[in-house]
Amino acid sequence: MSIKVKNLTKIFDEKKVLDDISFEVADGETLAVVGFSGSGKSTVLKLICGLLEKDEGEIITSEGDIAMVFQYSALFDSLDVADNISFALRERRDLRNKYTEQELKEIVTQKLGLVGLSGIERKFPSELSGGMQKRVSFARAIVTEPKTILYDEPTAGLDPISSTLIEDYIVRLQQETNAASIVVTHQMSTITRTANKLIMLYNGKIVFEGTPEELLRAENPYTKQFVTASLEGPMQMIS
Amino acid sequence: MITFRQYIRQSTTCKIFNAFYKQFVDFVATLGTIVYNGFATLKYICLGQINLKELMDQCVRFGISSLPITLSIVGMTSIIVTSQVAAEMVKQGGGHFVGLLVSILIVREVGAVMSGFAIISMIGSSLASELATMRVTEQIDAITVLKVSPIRYLFVPRVLSGIIMMPILVVIASAFGVLTGALTTAMTTELSFKAYFDSAWLGIYMKDLSVCLLKSVVFGGTIALISCSCGYEASGGAKGVGLATNKAVVWSLVAIVIWDLIFSITFFF
Repeated sequence: MSIKVKNLTKIFDEKKVLDDISFEVADGETLAVVGFSGSGKSTVLKLICGLLEKDEGEIITSEGDIAMVFQYSALFDSLDVADNISFALRERRDLRNKYTEQELKEIVTQKLGLVGLSGIERKFPSELSGGMQKRVSFARAIVTEPKTILYDEPTAGLDPISSTLIEDYIVRLQQETNAASIVVTHQMSTITRTANKLIMLYNGKIVFEGTPEELLRAENPYTKQFVTASLEGPMQMIS
Repeated sequence: MITFRQYIRQSTTCKIFNAFYKQFVDFVATLGTIVYNGFATLKYICLGQINLKELMDQCVRFGISSLPITLSIVGMTSIIVTSQVAAEMVKQGGGHFVGLLVSILIVREVGAVMSGFAIISMIGSSLASELATMRVTEQIDAITVLKVSPIRYLFVPRVLSGIIMMPILVVIASAFGVLTGALTTAMTTELSFKAYFDSAWLGIYMKDLSVCLLKSVVFGGTIALISCSCGYEASGGAKGVGLATNKAVVWSLVAIVIWDLIFSITFFF
């Protein structure tokens, strides 16, 4: 089992953002985490990759690196594409002197090829479109051959065609790396095209767990409201 | 009907007390963060974990880009002071002390302090906004997830460049200040350059130069550390970046004045 989350609880300002949630993701599997904005989806990812400390529960991940693709790519704007991708290999203590300049160049070229962006090594993030930035951030994430990949709203802010392209790359990277992946998303297309299974969060709890097909068929009032994007239902937005 | 406790909570006095309490907690938290980040940075410097390319880039940014404004501020301060005292001193028969007064003033105080103020406005604010932007755009989170220490990658080259470049800037700015003092004296009085510089050398001791250099090292490190820390701890969006930059400037200014006071008490009392 690559990711095992057991009875996870996170409290912000006396409010339980995550309340005793548990799930598992196997190697080669992709779990979609869906729910309203503010339902704690991104918090799950930040807890798994160690950006936040959990209050209660257990998170067990396979040995190896955890990579994260951030919502707005989070590329280093002072570095060009090649330096962004090779950042961990140049700066990480255990990897710093492992590769020669030539090897680093080859790794960057290979990873860029994997996301269909060959030849943009010397461009800066500000010179790229949102979709291209996202793909560069994919390349940066997989450069250390991670066993776990976390995607925080990978298609947010992209047009439908770029979103489809990003979804294709999520599937392709999944096949290439056989990593356990978690995709936080609102978009139905991302869920159905990339995920093997999903959980839905509401008020810090899991209100649905199943496959994307089950989500579309389920009679669960939460999933029905989510799929039909209805204002009527058990999930109430805070206005 | 409200309870006594609710009445107290709603009272203006309580609100004012709460506001002061929040300020105090924020002050202690900021100070603690700066000290903690300072020790963490020092640890990496002592371990020699320094990115030389990044250090060179930061030195160029710290030294070259801020030189014109530093020279302008120190030079103009020197002109302002000299133009007001030189003529008066010559008139009162103290012309041979003009160089001495200006050089003491520049080397002991104006050179380092005014350069510090110039660096805060030029570099400190830019460091704070840079790191704050990196924080709110999740770039610092990305560094952490990639298992690289943000303190080693971001703080070490910036703080070290402050420590290296500030003394160089202060020496150049002080020399420029003494020189502009000479030009101002020559233009406003009949005192010769030779008379000015003869008395100027008399006022400068080895101790003054050493304290000036030590002061500039401390100022440079402090400004860079405070600016980086304030930016690093930013939260929220554009407003968070603005608040972090503002906090960095205010804290740096106060820190420079406090350090200056400590140096004055320690070495010149």
